[in-house]
Amino acid sequence: MTSMQKLLLAAVAASLAIAGPVSAQNVAREDTVIFDLDRTIQDPENFNWMTDGTGIRRMQGAHQVMWEPLFILNYNTGALDPWLSTGFEANDDLSAFTITLREGVTWSDGEAFDADDVVFTVNMALENEELNAREVATLRGQVAGVEKVDDLTVRFTLNAPNPRFVVENFGVRIFGSFLIMPEHIWSAAENPATFTFNPPIGTGPYTFTSAASNRAIWDRNEGWWGAQTGFADLPEPLRVVFLESGGEESRAQLMATDQLDAAQNLSVGTFEAIQAQNANVIAWHADYPYAVADPCARQLEINTTIAPWDNPNMRKAVALIIDRTQIVNIAAEGATTPSSTMFAQYGSMSPFIDAVVEAGYGLPASADVAAGQALIEAAGWVRNGDYYERDGETLSAEIHVNSASTEYTRTIDMVVEQLQRAGIDARSVPVENSVFWGEVLPFGAYEMSYSWLSCGSVNEPWASMGRYTVQDVVPVGERSPGFNNTARWNSPAAEAYSEVVNAMSSLPLGDPQIPAMVADAYQHLDAEMPFIPLVQAYKLMPFNTTYWTGWPSNDSYYNHPFFHWNSGHQIIHNLTRAN
Amino acid sequence: MTEPNAAAPETAAPDATGLSKRQVRRMKRFDNPWRNPKLIWGVGLLLGIIALGLLGRIFWDTDMVFTGSGLPRQAPVGIENMRGQVGSWAHPLGTDVTGKDILALLIVGAPNSLYVGVLASLIGMSIGIFLGFSAGFIGGRIDDVIRVGSDVMITIPPLLILVVFQAAYGDISLTIMAILIACFVWQSPTRLIRAQVLSMRESGYVQMARLSGASTGHIMFREMLPNLVPYLFGSFIANVTTSIVTAVGLEVLGLGPQRVPTLGRVIYDAINSGALIQNLWWWWGVPTLLLAVMFIGLLLINLGLDEVSNPRLRRL
Repeated sequence: MTSMQKLLLAAVAASLAIAGPVSAQNVAREDTVIFDLDRTIQDPENFNWMTDGTGIRRMQGAHQVMWEPLFILNYNTGALDPWLSTGFEANDDLSAFTITLREGVTWSDGEAFDADDVVFTVNMALENEELNAREVATLRGQVAGVEKVDDLTVRFTLNAPNPRFVVENFGVRIFGSFLIMPEHIWSAAENPATFTFNPPIGTGPYTFTSAASNRAIWDRNEGWWGAQTGFADLPEPLRVVFLESGGEESRAQLMATDQLDAAQNLSVGTFEAIQAQNANVIAWHADYPYAVADPCARQLEINTTIAPWDNPNMRKAVALIIDRTQIVNIAAEGATTPSSTMFAQYGSMSPFIDAVVEAGYGLPASADVAAGQALIEAAGWVRNGDYYERDGETLSAEIHVNSASTEYTRTIDMVVEQLQRAGIDARSVPVENSVFWGEVLPFGAYEMSYSWLSCGSVNEPWASMGRYTVQDVVPVGERSPGFNNTARWNSPAAEAYSEVVNAMSSLPLGDPQIPAMVADAYQHLDAEMPFIPLVQAYKLMPFNTTYWTGWPSNDSYYNHPFFHWNSGHQIIHNLTRAN
Repeated sequence: MTEPNAAAPETAAPDATGLSKRQVRRMKRFDNPWRNPKLIWGVGLLLGIIALGLLGRIFWDTDMVFTGSGLPRQAPVGIENMRGQVGSWAHPLGTDVTGKDILALLIVGAPNSLYVGVLASLIGMSIGIFLGFSAGFIGGRIDDVIRVGSDVMITIPPLLILVVFQAAYGDISLTIMAILIACFVWQSPTRLIRAQVLSMRESGYVQMARLSGASTGHIMFREMLPNLVPYLFGSFIANVTTSIVTAVGLEVLGLGPQRVPTLGRVIYDAINSGALIQNLWWWWGVPTLLLAVMFIGLLLINLGLDEVSNPRLRRL
């Protein structure tokens, strides 16, 4: 080898070491599990999850490996798997809950985790309006007061009866849960809204090692409370890395070359291409369409304060023009199904979906463009060439879409096409993830957008329906509480709707009146369409079995595969080293 | 103008130099320096792209640039895709993952990319000519301001500013994009023209014009400008190349117009949808090839124009 070749080789090796996805230092690849992150960590030094509307200060690993939830909702059994808590009790009218904490839990610095931490964190949430994460806003809206009964018992008093209180706030029903913070550290913060909580600590089996805008590294805490108390063994991976992979192409390449163990959403074609190169890569279902539905059905959000979309008939026209089957076939490559209502089409939701469909408010799978155009024409618009016009103004619609995933942009490209062909000058406005969640959606700074803001219901209807009541209406430019009713739907029909939904909120789960009430309330949604349900969510999240096995799948359904959720703890504990 | 005279001594004694017939033939062509092969080839390639746009619109259904126009992932004619489907004449260059027809995308996209480049360069050159002449000919304070201004602007990387601007404003039209790019391509022509004008200002015919009382505008644009024409053309073509590169750069980052097909946009969609790993080579390969043709065409024109303005470059 000539010296020139050596030099080149050294240069290549050095650049690989610099550009390599993970600085492995002294942990072997076999002991490291690498998860995909589908967005940039905007502020990697900040661990204050309570002021983060986008979720990135948690999903970079913090709430999967460091901060543990009280319970985790098991999507398979429907039960709440206890974690930091061992159970709860409610009073008779479901307006007060007593939660029991697990004994022997400690923070990673050795301090005990107890009722003081819970009471402190909840009070902090109640007293500080600037803490605006969705979970904090939800809790603040429900809880009247909290008190410590003893070191391991906390009692919550609610503003109104709520049978879902625990699962909604502490059960990781969707994405996150209200995370308890260590009092002995946060109490020193002058202002909880500006506190960055760096270095962060938690009760989980991993501690924070380092973070940059494209990755976060967590190392195993050998003194984790769970192993010492017999709650669970230490997880096998010595190191957990969350790595921003970039777009679909680089994500796929990393997966095919074993540089990633779990990837975020990919399209069907890309997944099949990865499998052709790397047989160790699996998905939820072994066969087409591979994907699993998460509970956040996709929909077109509409700002009901902006003309001409403040007219319910115009919104209905858009709903009629949209062809859901085409979205399924083209944008989703057949990996999902059209939505017939706002709800996730889970078996547990079928009584409510059936009630809506039987009452005649279900959405069709295909379009009725002529009927939609008739509604537009009835509103005074006249087709002139390609587009409708009225008083010299062209009928147009801007649809804001989060550019973080091809699923979003591709679906909206399809919707734009359908609206264009029907005579509406629609166009998509792609915006960056943090802008989308931080600026566009909560403040109503959009005409239409693609999202899943009726997400919430998994086994009862209120969590989704309760998000569109008139109580949550705020003017455009103010932050919608917990992303609720960002449509700003506020009309007599909305009031009638809210009345029914509010009456439903305090009924115990499984009450036989509920399906009929759902159908009753749904007539107003059907008549005014403050948002338009499109298709069911579809997540094709590939796992790589080259280094780690024990991933969740339809055959091994210990819980859903959404590793970016607070339930990621369960996945990490289930991983075993591949041979 | 000096070009024909420069070639004269050589053509005066062709036999004495012992040149072959082919060389003699080429030599004669230098009577008209605009007819050199590089220039002709370059113009031919660009005209080919324009012809693709014009003829394509007549013979092909350009509505197929939109989502859902055909089956997704079809390979070009006669070639199998990963699912074993053989491409058909319905989509001669195949389709992308959302069923857009690649041929239709190219028919609409390639002239669009060229349009952005030409428009941006035209605007940039116009500004450059005006400022360059003013600075070089008028001099003084005006020269100072223009010189410093263009020197400062030349240090600012255009892509950086444009990325921020477009990310903030989202969807923009091709024309707006061209105007934005034009804001960053006037500096070098300004400097080059200023330098030329400075040297030309002292030449005899300018002095003569001045003595005979011609106005500044007349001297600048009627007397001096024609002498700079080949030079300006060269600068213009170089600017077109820069503008297209900038535009394609923005589009490949996903920052161009959303619903208007351009070559950069097609490549962006391909990258963004995992075309490489899915082996959908026709999706990114064909537009890349077309871009290459466009750049080679522009390069050849530039070389050809160099020969027009600089006779020493003409080789036999």
